[in-house]
Amino acid sequence: MKSNQLAIGFVIVAVVCIVIAALYAVGILQFLASGSGVHIKHAILFGVLAVASLIAANFTRVKTA
Amino acid sequence: MGLLQGATELFPVSSLGHAVLIPSLLHWSFKQSDPSFVPFLVLLHLGTASALLFIYRSEWVVIVKAFFTAAVRGRIETPPERLAMLLMVGTIPAAILGVYLESRIKSLFASPYVAAGFLVVNGFLMIGFEVLRRRAERRAALDTKPRAAQEEGFVEAERISFRAAALVGACQALAFLPGISRSGVTIGGGLLAGLRHQEAARFSFLLATPVILSAGVIEVPQLFSARVPVAEYIGAALLSAGAAYASARFLLRYFRSGRLDPYGWYCVAAGLVSLGLLALNL
Repeated sequence: MKSNQLAIGFVIVAVVCIVIAALYAVGILQFLASGSGVHIKHAILFGVLAVASLIAANFTRVKTA
Repeated sequence: MGLLQGATELFPVSSLGHAVLIPSLLHWSFKQSDPSFVPFLVLLHLGTASALLFIYRSEWVVIVKAFFTAAVRGRIETPPERLAMLLMVGTIPAAILGVYLESRIKSLFASPYVAAGFLVVNGFLMIGFEVLRRRAERRAALDTKPRAAQEEGFVEAERISFRAAALVGACQALAFLPGISRSGVTIGGGLLAGLRHQEAARFSFLLATPVILSAGVIEVPQLFSARVPVAEYIGAALLSAGAAYASARFLLRYFRSGRLDPYGWYCVAAGLVSLGLLALNL
């Protein structure tokens, strides 16, 4: 399914994931994390999700020849 | 423990279930609350992941190259590119569920009775996967053909759908329940998605490598924070790697014509015997 709107949606998801990753990494976000402090595992997960979203955006955007 | 972990991680019989059950049954003085227990498990998992990486080393080089090529191009053109993207899609649900649920589920169910019970459930799951597979073989009129020809009627890992890859990946979360086998549910999921047995095992092992390796690498700092008998633990990790290597080689050969149900019956029997022994406190 090719759509630039869908691609923009994936880019927005990627940006949100990067923000969440940063918040976990500096210890501001504690959502569903055990203990307090920084949560590297959660930050890496959201970093990976951001990359995956960008890849999905690249796949779904309409490519010009 | 190294040998046990390495062998049972890849066989569809649940390494976690065996790791909970066997020390209890044999009265090993093995405290899971000990601060060096997690580093120990980390090293064992790194051993298993290293064995898988070694077995598929050339394939991983191709997959990683294909991943970057397809990601940058934004289009899949070759089977390795499709496999790389299938693995990414399969790994994401496992990673999300792993980060958020693993420790909670493991702490809820870390009892030998529960592990034995889930081992029986795992056995019935394996048998169920094969019942469904045999039904698919009958539908495709393959049931009267020899095993090799039956397997030819199914597809390679590169050809499953992305939805199926995500479902197979999510199935890995079931393995947080001690007694449920990660490789068992992913091989079974692969069979339901129409893969050949050997291809289902290959997809399961490829899917396991990034999950096990990254989970291990992330925990590496714990090796330096606890007082750890390093030489002893590295020895266990090497044993784990050796056992995992031998297991993977055996299973890939076995699944050319073999099925999951012998492992299913083993799990049912082992679970029931363990429940009996635990109840009798032997």
